[in-house]
Amino acid sequence: MDSQGQTTSMQRLQNVEKRIIRVLELAGGVMDELSNSTGPRKELINNHCLEFMQLIKDIQVALREEIKGACDYRPYEKCDYSSRIANEICCKKLECVLSQLDEMRQTVNEYHGAV
Amino acid sequence: MDENIEVSLDKLPIKRLEAIEENGAERFPPDVDYNEKRLSLIRKIDFAWAVEKDDEKKKQKKSSKESLTPLKWQTMVENLQLAHQELSVIIDLINTVEANDAVTVAGMTWPKPLPNEVLSDLAVSAATKLQCFRHLGKYFKQSAKALEQQVAREARFYGALIRLQQNWKVKRQRMAAASAPGNEGFTIDLFDNSLHDPAAIVRPSSLSTIRVDHDAAGMLAINLPSNLCHSLQFGFIGSQSGDDSRESSKKFYSSGEHHLRESEKESLSDEECVKKTHSLLREVHQAIFDEQVFDLVNREAFNTSLGFSVTGIRQNYLQLSLGQGTSVFLSLVSSGQDDQTVDGEGAQNVDDAILPLDSLDGVMLPDEKQDTLKKWGFPNHLSCEIYLQQIFHEHVLGRGNEKPISTGGRLSGHPVKDGSGLLEHFCMSLAHRIFSNKVLMVVENVVSKVPYLQLISHPTWHSRRSSWTLVVKVPQSILHARCESHISAIHNEKNSIKSHFRTKVVVNDDCINVEGEGVSNVIGLLKGKSEESHSMHSCNCDLADLSMIILQQVASQVIGWLFEEALMVGIKANRDFLRLSVELEQRETLSLVAHVDPEDSQGCISWWLVMEDSFAEERKLMDVTDAASDYRKFLGTFIFGCVVFNADGLGQLVRWRRPINVV
Repeated sequence: MDSQGQTTSMQRLQNVEKRIIRVLELAGGVMDELSNSTGPRKELINNHCLEFMQLIKDIQVALREEIKGACDYRPYEKCDYSSRIANEICCKKLECVLSQLDEMRQTVNEYHGAV
Repeated sequence: MDENIEVSLDKLPIKRLEAIEENGAERFPPDVDYNEKRLSLIRKIDFAWAVEKDDEKKKQKKSSKESLTPLKWQTMVENLQLAHQELSVIIDLINTVEANDAVTVAGMTWPKPLPNEVLSDLAVSAATKLQCFRHLGKYFKQSAKALEQQVAREARFYGALIRLQQNWKVKRQRMAAASAPGNEGFTIDLFDNSLHDPAAIVRPSSLSTIRVDHDAAGMLAINLPSNLCHSLQFGFIGSQSGDDSRESSKKFYSSGEHHLRESEKESLSDEECVKKTHSLLREVHQAIFDEQVFDLVNREAFNTSLGFSVTGIRQNYLQLSLGQGTSVFLSLVSSGQDDQTVDGEGAQNVDDAILPLDSLDGVMLPDEKQDTLKKWGFPNHLSCEIYLQQIFHEHVLGRGNEKPISTGGRLSGHPVKDGSGLLEHFCMSLAHRIFSNKVLMVVENVVSKVPYLQLISHPTWHSRRSSWTLVVKVPQSILHARCESHISAIHNEKNSIKSHFRTKVVVNDDCINVEGEGVSNVIGLLKGKSEESHSMHSCNCDLADLSMIILQQVASQVIGWLFEEALMVGIKANRDFLRLSVELEQRETLSLVAHVDPEDSQGCISWWLVMEDSFAEERKLMDVTDAASDYRKFLGTFIFGCVVFNADGLGQLVRWRRPINVV
């Protein structure tokens, strides 16, 4: 996990998908090159094929690591919904107190204004 | 065919055909010479002659014919013969075929390909292969583009889903393909399965499982009808409960909705989309909790009947009576509409925001707020609602894995152990609040009338207990500074003159307890003994007697202090409950008498100076109705500015100044 730096698992899988797209593009490019009316250029095809193989290898490596690293799916043992409700109640308390403080301040201002 | 048909007739030729040959040539009789015509005409008369002539003619013609036609006939006959031969061959062949079924082809010779044909075949096959490659290449590129778009769409969806998964439980069901295309079967589960008390929850709400959909752009979306969510609402019946706070909180949600409706959906960034979904899930989660609370309240309301009674019930509405004419209601309000029976007020009502928790040190209330008991009597309905939710959450619904943490002993002292008496506790808390508001009103009334009295509120962190302290601030004694130098530190505590006296008022449920310091109670003083100044005495009283008792305490505290001062300067003084007597020469007694009247609008404690001679000892202490007597002098309500003891004199001279504020 450390070798991947700060990328998340989601980002790594995103990269795998991008590589697959790139692989498809390379295949299309090779086909286009082969269908060239003046004959295919060897270097171009070589480069494409090399890149293709490299990408396939990268994809395999990444997927293998992700599969190894995926944790078992456990049903939710620790549910934080009750503390979430407690949090919501605290939010409501806060709003209530804020509104009352505002009213108090208004009262004070009126008092000072009257004086 | 509208035209008229025209028929043209040709005259038939007079000449008649003589013969028609096999090849179709028509032979007309040769033209007769003119001479022969004449001859023939002439000879017509002699028919025999004509007949002979005809025969001769015929013979001549036949001979001429026979000399011309053999050539034409010959070629024709030869052609016919050849054709006949070929036809006979073919007929033989057909007969043979009919006779024998099997006929083998001996061989067929393909026409030999020409060299340009070979090359063109090669070129065509090569071109076809290249075309295939091109198709393939195009197909790959198109697939790559389509995959890119789909990956982008799914990245948005799954990115949002992962962010939601940090806070909510996301579950997946592999649904059959018959469902809506593109639906991967994700649901968000809002049901809390970690509660230890399954009896508390009878019916899991239908809102517990929320389906995750895609919107038009493929982004995560949740479709929920807005009036499915209910929120809890609590209120006092008959009070103008300010709906401003509720409206403001509702405005919070509705303004968010409004904002979203104004902007186009496509321009919503992913962030905003996730936030909107998250707040929607929060609403639903709270709605589920509110429904559970309402359910529990209903169950408890019909099980126990202490401290309250059910007076009304409708769908999603429960009305309780707390006694003494106070009625409250609890209802589930759909978030889309407002189920208020109270007229909403436009301006903010400051009177409703009353909390006896904070310190109100020295704040004098304007007089116009003391007339409406109703406005003062009811605590803030919003805070009651929150309190109800809190106690149910902590004791029943939110127990989960850990015990509720009682911070600051907030929950200590509750009689509730297993959540069965929660509603009862809540109703008793409400009753206490209302009662303590009344107590506070009485106390504040007293405090506002007496200028040297101050009120301090104390938070008790208990919902059924309130406490206040009344402080009498006495000015520092003049002699105190002088005497201080003579008093050592060890005797400081014993001889220290207090600068203020306290009276504590504690309300427990609906029981008032008054505790005063430095004051002897009525019974002790009437016995004639002088008590110590630092003792504390307490008594219970009713609301009606509270102001009287407080005023008496305060007055006696002042008298007590004056007594101490008098003793300090060495004046011979006596002290009764509300009266301080100083002996002058000639056996005269000067008395300072306090008169206590809670309903006095000028001031509750008024002071009188009474001169008595030794002959009038029998006069009653409380006989203050005769204001016109020479022996009495009304000093007003403010005492500390007008009595000053002479520093030198040991009771010889009593000097007083005019009171500053004479009523």
